Amino acid sequence: MNAPQPPQWAKTVLRWLHPDNTLEEVEGDLDELYAYSYAHSGKMQALFRYLINVITVLPPFVRRRQQKTKYDPTFSLSPDMLKNYFKIAWRNIVRQKSYSILNIAGLSIGMACSILILLWVQNELSYDRFHSRADQIFRLTCSAGDFRAAVSAAGMAPGFKSELPQIKSGVRISKWIPMLFEVGEKKVDEKRVMYVDSNFLDFFSFPLLAGNKATALQDPGAILITEEMAAKYFGTSDAIGKTIRIDNKENFTVGGVLANTPPNSHLQFDCLIPMKTLARTSTELQNNSWNNFIFYTYLELNDKTAASASARQALIKQISSIFKGHGQTIKIDFELQALTDVHLHSNYQLDVAGHGNIQYVNIFFIIAIFILIVACINFMNLATARSERRAKEVGLRKVVGANRHQLIFQFLGESLIFSFLSLIIAIGIVFLLLPIFKMLTEKSLTIHLLDGKLLLSLIGIAVLTGLLSGSYPALFLSGFAPVKVLKGKLRVAGGNLLFRNALVVTQFVVAIVLLVGTAVVYKQLDFIKKRNLGFDKSNLLYLPMSGELWGKQQALKLALAQNHLTENFTVISALPTAVESGTVDVVWDGQTAPNQVVFPSLDVDENFINVFKTKVLAGRGFDKTFSGDSSSYMINEKAMQIMGMNVNNAVGKSMSLGDEKGTIIGVVKDFHFKSLQYAMEPLILRINRWGGVVMVRTEAGNNEQTIKALEKINLQLNPAFPFRFGFLDKDLDNLYRSEQQMGNIFNLFAGLAIFISCLGLYGLSAFMAEQRTKEIGVRKVLGASVAGVVGLLSQDFLKLILIAIVIASPIAWYAMQSWLQGFAYQTTLEWWVIALAGILATAIALFTISFQSIKAALMNPVKSLRSE
Amino acid sequence: MRRTYLGEFEELVLLMIAILDENAYGVTVSQEIEQQTGRLVAFGSVHNTLIRLEEKGFVTSGLGGATAERGGRRKRLFKVTALGKTALADIQELRNKLWKLMPDDTLKLSGI
Repeated sequence: MNAPQPPQWAKTVLRWLHPDNTLEEVEGDLDELYAYSYAHSGKMQALFRYLINVITVLPPFVRRRQQKTKYDPTFSLSPDMLKNYFKIAWRNIVRQKSYSILNIAGLSIGMACSILILLWVQNELSYDRFHSRADQIFRLTCSAGDFRAAVSAAGMAPGFKSELPQIKSGVRISKWIPMLFEVGEKKVDEKRVMYVDSNFLDFFSFPLLAGNKATALQDPGAILITEEMAAKYFGTSDAIGKTIRIDNKENFTVGGVLANTPPNSHLQFDCLIPMKTLARTSTELQNNSWNNFIFYTYLELNDKTAASASARQALIKQISSIFKGHGQTIKIDFELQALTDVHLHSNYQLDVAGHGNIQYVNIFFIIAIFILIVACINFMNLATARSERRAKEVGLRKVVGANRHQLIFQFLGESLIFSFLSLIIAIGIVFLLLPIFKMLTEKSLTIHLLDGKLLLSLIGIAVLTGLLSGSYPALFLSGFAPVKVLKGKLRVAGGNLLFRNALVVTQFVVAIVLLVGTAVVYKQLDFIKKRNLGFDKSNLLYLPMSGELWGKQQALKLALAQNHLTENFTVISALPTAVESGTVDVVWDGQTAPNQVVFPSLDVDENFINVFKTKVLAGRGFDKTFSGDSSSYMINEKAMQIMGMNVNNAVGKSMSLGDEKGTIIGVVKDFHFKSLQYAMEPLILRINRWGGVVMVRTEAGNNEQTIKALEKINLQLNPAFPFRFGFLDKDLDNLYRSEQQMGNIFNLFAGLAIFISCLGLYGLSAFMAEQRTKEIGVRKVLGASVAGVVGLLSQDFLKLILIAIVIASPIAWYAMQSWLQGFAYQTTLEWWVIALAGILATAIALFTISFQSIKAALMNPVKSLRSE
Repeated sequence: MRRTYLGEFEELVLLMIAILDENAYGVTVSQEIEQQTGRLVAFGSVHNTLIRLEEKGFVTSGLGGATAERGGRRKRLFKVTALGKTALADIQELRNKLWKLMPDDTLKLSGI
């Protein structure tokens, strides 16, 4: 049953010439056909046809079957490959220790910075969002021209609510009013006490831990205290029904215990007292006054109005017309400020203390991103610079069948390993630095690692960093042609070098801009602190009147005058850190139109000019020898200009403030009585018949004794109240706390950005020096000096830094110029600040490079040249 | 969609594969053509056409069905794909349409 076989030689030809991948089937087919013809047409015919057929399936006639991939492609995610990737990554980390440490250090410091900044940003943005109806609550602010104030009048909340259906409810809150609390033996000055309307707890979402939410603020004799206060005074949070004596004259019953105010609330308080209590004595509240702006008014709008800007605009129009309807002639621009905007978007005067600034939030957010980018650049630079070390691996992987995707996957994976390692270290750094950072920012920042959102964003940061920093090396390395790298002829391409240089330049641009920023912030702070305020702020001690002192002003003055330490004193109505009173109700000689400018006023006594060392430009100061001074006014230069007068004709003109008519007796040189963020405002001085703050000019070096003398006077005249005092210059410095904070934070992060850049530079210079070992050897043999070699190695980097300076200067100049715009009084941004920053950056960079370049230059050429 | 061009011989081979249904490979296709049309074809042209048809996506192939008379070698069996079926149907349809457009006498004249 042997099938007839075609001749062997023909088969050999077939096997030899026919394409391999179709040989099996074709040979079989031909055999079958041969057998068929053999059976049907005989041997000769069969052989003939067989030969014809063979020829037609030989090249060039045969068509080649396209090779389909017959082998199984390696699955990139197979456990074996993954294991291999991890192993190689780990070996690379361990083998190149210094490189890995540089990388991980840079990345983790960068991440830690970003995490810290983002924590801060997140905290700033979270303000007042905990209120359940946060998006419906708005604060009513009243501005008169340039004088933008956060306050409004007592009658507004009830007045608008009753007439406008869009307003669901309104709440009035007083400013902080310092009070003396007394429980048993304990006597403490409490500063954070506010009067609030009875629906306060209902309106906002401050939780009440004990007590009845509905009635807690109804009873005029009640007080609500926070948990912290309850613990402080009673040692327990179960304080309901207990008594607190306030200002040594009235007993209040604790009607409820509040949770401590959340740190991210712009309203901060320790105690709440019902508005009704204040209403017993305040004519403002009894008459629902419309023209004395002393309360904060919050309004809850209905959904529709709250959601639409145009509806709110219409509401403001209605508010304005109602305001006019109450017989008010003053032109007020009302605004509805969203509750969630109060903290960050407030540039109002007379606002609650300690609000933030959206500008700083934006700036720091950008800085966080840039620091992260700088850290990523480090990684990219070092990875690509060292690519030659990995080139053979890439070549070999490609030879055994890795495709580009797998290599990209591998290198991205490696950078992700780096970034996650760094993340873990970064979290450690954050925990270490958090206390310092809290001190700098004066915020209660916490990091809860188990918080899903935070964890997600941390992982997000790590993934982003890993992908960003791994992307270029991955694309670059995976593109190597295996033939070239395995032959050992890898040339670092010019494009790659250019890209790396661009990255270095970017790093230094960021560093220089931050340096300039720091310098300018500090320069501005210094400028503000050293600016001549128009009075001598040093050695001014103040004693705010409290308790019985109000009633014993004559005795107080007498006592002060008798002691030579305190005899140089004056009694003024408010500290010149923030004069809060102001009115447009001013009429003067020659006035053409009703006044629309807010004139702040300050009550001073006869000693004011002497004690404050201000200058009288025309006329005279207040004087006891003139009996009519109770109806006399002094004005400052600015007021004089607004009134259209000059130094020669102002004195003797008549003017009236409110209902009181009087004469201008003098013009005082402008002095600052508010934060320097505000431009000079007009000021009216009048004789003090009311009291306020005792200011004492002490002699330098006698501060301690003066304080003691004052304490003694307080003890004699005001035994029930503790002695309070302060130094004006310290208070003035405190006005610029947020700027100071910003300066400190800026400083910290600028330093870190430079440090991270230098880490990268160090690695890069080490690599460069290593690459040029032979060149340096040859140069030295031919007689190059050490200095020459160091110069050679440094000049490449020097060029880059010079380019960075050129790019950074305009950016820094523009950025800082726009920051300075926020100040009424700005320091000049001089070219030498930028030059200094540039020189500093250059010096730091050269110093970093010098480690490696000097080492390379000192190397014995015998060693470096020996191997060839 | 651009119709893939199908040559006369390609169409013939494709039709044979369809006729042979599951049992189409080089030998059977050659023999079927010989039997149905009386045409003697070189194996090479059948082989090339089969590869080309597969490249164009009208047929798919798989190895299998080794027999003793082939020396234990596997056959490459071909199957018409959906695309191949549509292509055949399209051709048929086009032919029919064109035939219908022909005037009756033309048909008679040409039918000599």
